[in-house]
Amino acid sequence: MGPAVYILGIVITLSCGILLMRGYMRAKRPLLLWSSLCFFGLALSNLLVFIDLVMLPGVDLYLWRLGVAAIAMMLLMYGLIWEGE
Amino acid sequence: MTEPEPIQKAVEQFILNEIDSVPHLEALLMLCNGPGREWRVDEMAKALYVPLEVGQKILQSLAQRGLIAAVPAESETYVYVSQSEEKDTLLRAVDATYRRELVRVSTMIHSKASPAVREFARAFRLIKGRD
Amino acid sequence: MIQSFLLGVIATTSLTAGVFFLKFWRRTRDSLFLAFAIAFILEGINRTAVIFANHPNEGSPWTYLVRLFAFLLILAAILKKNYGAHR
Repeated sequence: MGPAVYILGIVITLSCGILLMRGYMRAKRPLLLWSSLCFFGLALSNLLVFIDLVMLPGVDLYLWRLGVAAIAMMLLMYGLIWEGE
Repeated sequence: MTEPEPIQKAVEQFILNEIDSVPHLEALLMLCNGPGREWRVDEMAKALYVPLEVGQKILQSLAQRGLIAAVPAESETYVYVSQSEEKDTLLRAVDATYRRELVRVSTMIHSKASPAVREFARAFRLIKGRD
Repeated sequence: MIQSFLLGVIATTSLTAGVFFLKFWRRTRDSLFLAFAIAFILEGINRTAVIFANHPNEGSPWTYLVRLFAFLLILAAILKKNYGAHR
């Protein structure tokens, strides 16, 4: 059950990232760029979780997972704080 | 004479969804009140009492939303092209509402979420014509 | 130590993002923002709850469920935006 959730997570965060990047290409609003990058980062974090728990049980990627997610969220923070005109 | 309820709602939805600022609205209305009349960016900027770059941005964003069209032959020139009877009627209603209730419409525009936020929501629109 | 710090960063930024999205929802009445708000707030709570976990790097079933709910909420909001009933 766990792996399936992370696959779903990867799909959804990746989709959000793609839609927002597409939106950014069209409308050029920085908020969309930063939130897109955040979702790509979260997708990567979810992927690392999947790799960590399912594919490579011998290796602990926990710090990497957390690090990637933290950076992704900080990108979103930057975008949200500066989005005002 | 006020328009019936559903049209009023449609006007409000249109303004909330598509109009970023009062000059945007005025630019659009100027264009569609003279269909076929081509406007250059500098003409529009003067008519709106805004700087040239602002006028440019306004016309570009209106064109990007498909509300007006860039004239292919001329650069920096825009024109209103009628897409459907429905759209024309809606814009006429928007015009009438704006003339009648300037303060209310301006207040509505100014209290909206920022364009960036609305673009965020628009990014998730997969099907055209929905919001 | 680093783990706790990173978890703290993720939890705080997630909750903050949630609050921003709540503000956007209030302005636009677009349920997409409500879904993102709930998802990020849940994620913030999720990360905080790790304090009580024995093996945080394995994840508990509860974490999965909350995350699953958050993902499905976002998915539902996107579908509703595109295929849902017209207001």
